[in-house]
Amino acid sequence: MRAKFEYLAPTSLDEVCALLQEHEGDAKLLAGGTALVMWLRMGLLSPGYVIDLENVPGLDGITYDPADGLRIGAGVKHRDLELCPEVREHYPLLQETFYKVAQPRIRLMATVGGNLSHGDPMTDPGASFMALDAEVTLRSSRGERTVSVEDFFVDYYETALEPDEILTSIHVPPPAGPAWSHIKFTPRSEEDFATVGVAVTLTGTSSRCDDARIALNSVGPTIFRARAAEDVLRGRDLSPARIEEAGAAAADASDPIEDVRGSSDYKRDLTAVFVHRALEQAAARLG
Amino acid sequence: MKREMVLNVNGEEHDVEIEPNRLLLEALREDVGLTGTKEGCSIGVCGACSVIVDGRLVSACLTLAAACEGKKIETIEGLARDGELHPLQRAFVQFGGFQCGICTPGQIMAAKALLDHNPNPTTDQVKEWMSANLCRCTGYYKILESVMAVVEGKVDEGRRDEAVRQARIQSLYQSDTYKSNASD
Repeated sequence: MRAKFEYLAPTSLDEVCALLQEHEGDAKLLAGGTALVMWLRMGLLSPGYVIDLENVPGLDGITYDPADGLRIGAGVKHRDLELCPEVREHYPLLQETFYKVAQPRIRLMATVGGNLSHGDPMTDPGASFMALDAEVTLRSSRGERTVSVEDFFVDYYETALEPDEILTSIHVPPPAGPAWSHIKFTPRSEEDFATVGVAVTLTGTSSRCDDARIALNSVGPTIFRARAAEDVLRGRDLSPARIEEAGAAAADASDPIEDVRGSSDYKRDLTAVFVHRALEQAAARLG
Repeated sequence: MKREMVLNVNGEEHDVEIEPNRLLLEALREDVGLTGTKEGCSIGVCGACSVIVDGRLVSACLTLAAACEGKKIETIEGLARDGELHPLQRAFVQFGGFQCGICTPGQIMAAKALLDHNPNPTTDQVKEWMSANLCRCTGYYKILESVMAVVEGKVDEGRRDEAVRQARIQSLYQSDTYKSNASD
């Protein structure tokens, strides 16, 4: 372990906020630990204080209401979201996405709020939350605010969280329609990070798309919405030519880095193919 | 700054004096002296350091020891009772569930975490769950067979009929692990 820090274990959200304010910029929140502890081990982060959220009430629970939608406590584990009956029934896109994150033991440890707060452009959940028009609640001693997931991701590993803020919950509106898709390509093994990940929701019919939301991960400095690709579809048909055009528009909007998962050009080409496939899959669900 | 704390491992209390950045993996191996838990990848991928904390399976390499104060930690050393191996341990021995042995403590703790919550998992559920534990001797079907032997109460039956065994391996190969469980 490279990083040296003091370990703090508060027992209320107010206490967490006070500690974040007191040690502003020098404290990191610990939830599941799957990202943070790895970064501390490697010395990529060296905060003076690590604030453990394990004993903090008010960050758990998943509630579903047909009028309000889904509310997910930031401390909910990936595995619990994946296995939640209401999620399975009303938000199959989320169930599919979380089921495919890493492997079961990581999903047992990693939290939904921790994943988003980490701001990692390579992870899948943010794209699906974005495709579902979700928002997050951020809290500090100064008060509470909500930010759309789309605006939450600011830059490479940078989110809208201020140093004194904690993400407390995620709100997903009632599902708009039955048409969705989540697909990704994992190059080395199934639990690997994706070369490209695509989350799509569609409303309308196959002859006329009312609305489309297309979100991508792993192919830019942040998880992002491919708005130009959505514009290709909105108010138009979902013909094979149109879907191909949308795939090309999404690839244009991508800005992938070259790494072990492929060159920039390869990832851009793959983006076009995977957006195309995801749209075909979602369009088939429109009936 | 070092701090004194008590770690409850396999029902026994251990006084340790550790830094806040001490990993559970390091505390178990170096402070408590239980070296059954292994370090493999160090980033939560391989499962060699799998232990159970308050009933939940975790990677000890991604868990701070300080966060485990007051919790019940279970490791491979706690499974045998009065000199008798746990059924999972006996199954791994009888069904060849290990070769070099490095991944084995993690494999067995992972299987235990599953069976503690669900004593009757399907083959696919076992496959999915155990996918989080890598074996570089590639003995995956022996591992699956070992876990299923416990599920099906086949431990200690002795060497089984070879034809039955072959049919069983065939059926394990045919079940589809990676089919998405999402409903359309």
